[in-house]
Amino acid sequence: MPHVEVLPNSAASVAPGWTYVVDTGYDPSKIAINPKNKKRVAAHPGGARGEHELTSRQQLAISRRIAELNKDNDPKQNIQIPGKTSTPKTQNARRIIQYQRQIKHWLDDEEAQLSAPPPRGATAASRIAAQPLRRSSTMPSIPPTPSEATPGPAPSTIPRPVHRETDDDILMSIERSMPPPLNPVELEALLSAPPLSYAASHVGPPPANGPPPRHFCDNCGYWGKIKCLRCGARVCGLECKDAHEATRCLKWA
Amino acid sequence: MPPKGSKKAAATAPARTLVLDNGAYTIKAGLVSAAPANPSYDDCVVIPNCVARSTRDKRTYIASELAQCKDFGELAFRRPVEKGFIVNWEAEKAIWEHEFTGAGAGEGLRCEPKETNLILTEKPNCPKELQKNCDEIVFEQFEFAAYYRCIGPTLNAYNPSSVGSFSALPQECLLIIDTSYSDTTILPIYHGQLIQSALRRLTVGGKLLTNYLKELSSLRHYNMLEETYLLNEIKEAVSFVAPSTQQFSEDLERTWKGRLGDKRELDSSIVLDYVLPDYERSIHGYARPHDPAKSRMRRGLQPLQGPREDLLPLGNERFAVPELLFNPTDIGIQEVGVPGAVMQSLSILPEALKVGMLANIVVVGGNSLIQGFMERLQSELMALVPAEYVLNLTRAEDPIKHTWLGAARFAREPERLKQVLVSKAEYDERGSAWLGKKFAGGEKVA
Ligand SMILES: [Zn+2]
Ligand SMILES: [Zn+2]
Repeated sequence: MPHVEVLPNSAASVAPGWTYVVDTGYDPSKIAINPKNKKRVAAHPGGARGEHELTSRQQLAISRRIAELNKDNDPKQNIQIPGKTSTPKTQNARRIIQYQRQIKHWLDDEEAQLSAPPPRGATAASRIAAQPLRRSSTMPSIPPTPSEATPGPAPSTIPRPVHRETDDDILMSIERSMPPPLNPVELEALLSAPPLSYAASHVGPPPANGPPPRHFCDNCGYWGKIKCLRCGARVCGLECKDAHEATRCLKWA
Repeated sequence: MPPKGSKKAAATAPARTLVLDNGAYTIKAGLVSAAPANPSYDDCVVIPNCVARSTRDKRTYIASELAQCKDFGELAFRRPVEKGFIVNWEAEKAIWEHEFTGAGAGEGLRCEPKETNLILTEKPNCPKELQKNCDEIVFEQFEFAAYYRCIGPTLNAYNPSSVGSFSALPQECLLIIDTSYSDTTILPIYHGQLIQSALRRLTVGGKLLTNYLKELSSLRHYNMLEETYLLNEIKEAVSFVAPSTQQFSEDLERTWKGRLGDKRELDSSIVLDYVLPDYERSIHGYARPHDPAKSRMRRGLQPLQGPREDLLPLGNERFAVPELLFNPTDIGIQEVGVPGAVMQSLSILPEALKVGMLANIVVVGGNSLIQGFMERLQSELMALVPAEYVLNLTRAEDPIKHTWLGAARFAREPERLKQVLVSKAEYDERGSAWLGKKFAGGEKVA
């Protein structure tokens, strides 16, 4: 195989279907010595088509792969229950024992029910209660904006301590008095708030001003500096590029 | 045993309670009575919650029978619990009958449901329909005398506090991080009651980590897609969490093979060779430092004498897999890691609760046993929590049995139990819709 030099600034692909990724924002191996990179990224959150943005096809591929990694049972497998078990004692029990549904079906049902219009006669309060509370996907120092907060239980209007203070601030805040006592009304609202739906219970993404996502070689797991133009996966070099093409390229697409 | 107390409810409530922490990977189980002695970890039995089928020995193993298995090769699993919720009652019923209520159940756990209470834990955010199925099976199929279903990790509030002394009362403020097989959940608990709106869930749990290691090993070395049992064993044996993102980067360098024309020697202080079991002479494998010579031999040249060895080299897989708990975005999961999830959960609490929760964080669940997990969690939380807060983070002494122990302590107080148990007679009279509401409302709803 001829030795092909990968040039950082060449916009042209090094091989058909490949491009070198110019990571202007963040090189994890340099984070300690070049902390300013962080700020540059923060100054352009979600800038126009950055290297970290994914096409919808790539996003679909990723969610397929995550679903695969998160699978509890293999639907293709059919393991029979051996031996003698008790017979169902009621109609309810018979129906439930015979279900062959997977968790996905129950969760889809739950989401469909939540998005369905409420039955006639439902009060506004019960409608609110039936809906999962909106979550703020931002970091804790930012309270929900009024439009995000539900009219129901206790939107948190309590001032948050300022995050990441300077040394002086921290010294002063140690002197600060105890936190304000619990407001019983607010506490009661918190304790009686209904559970979130399964889907709504997931945490939000990392803060936009944090380090951008890291990219790894799809084949060997080292830093992924080269991007496959066919599927968007990253590889570390030409050797792994070949391996990627022979194995997983487009696998999840 | 004669029923205790004189009240009507007490007269029908048996003295024995089966406490089940019914996890997706294992069931933690034990029979608890209102005996003077406090229950301990030793009273808890851990049982695989699965039916496993081997195509090699043509045997099917139910739950605890898995201990008899000598060949885990291509062993297929059927798990009744998916994403933490009981989904398949055909399998779960067979397992419960096998372990607890059937004629073949072991001495220590066998019980007659009609003379036994059941405390059953569930994961938070369980779809209501599944809760209803569960309640109906418990009363209509198993016919337990009385029953209480609740969110498992909240019962950790009845364990003695790591800071205070033992009391029968629940801890005031407790933040549980439950990093288990199905996922990782953050649960702020006030006087034993979960603050539902502040619960946060991460997709990453032990199952995803095992499957990820399986995927990587299959891509890089052997096809191991049918070897779930083995990969879980390897994960438990070799994984570690890097102490920081910077150390992660350094470890990634130490485990890189280099590029064409610039090959690097793998650092055998971090790269391991896992000697795979052959299921003839050995049932379990083991890890040893990477030996390049032996590794080359693996590529075709087996020794002329002595047993054949199959080696699985493990480099960055050792730390890149559990790293997902701290950086789910590494594989594209759009979620913050465990420390950030704690902050998101606390962000909606009033100041006084936030202070209380941060001062009493307890970690349960098997992933907390991964080497370096607690240290990384501690240091990343320290960086996120403003300095004026007291941060107290501990791992339960036995993070797998701890939730069960909390439930068992809860169950041994007859007065407390009476308040939450629903008897079969009540269920027969009022039905499953009423029961669902009662359990959803916690202890205050009559
Ligand atoms: Zn590579
Ligand atoms: Zn590709």
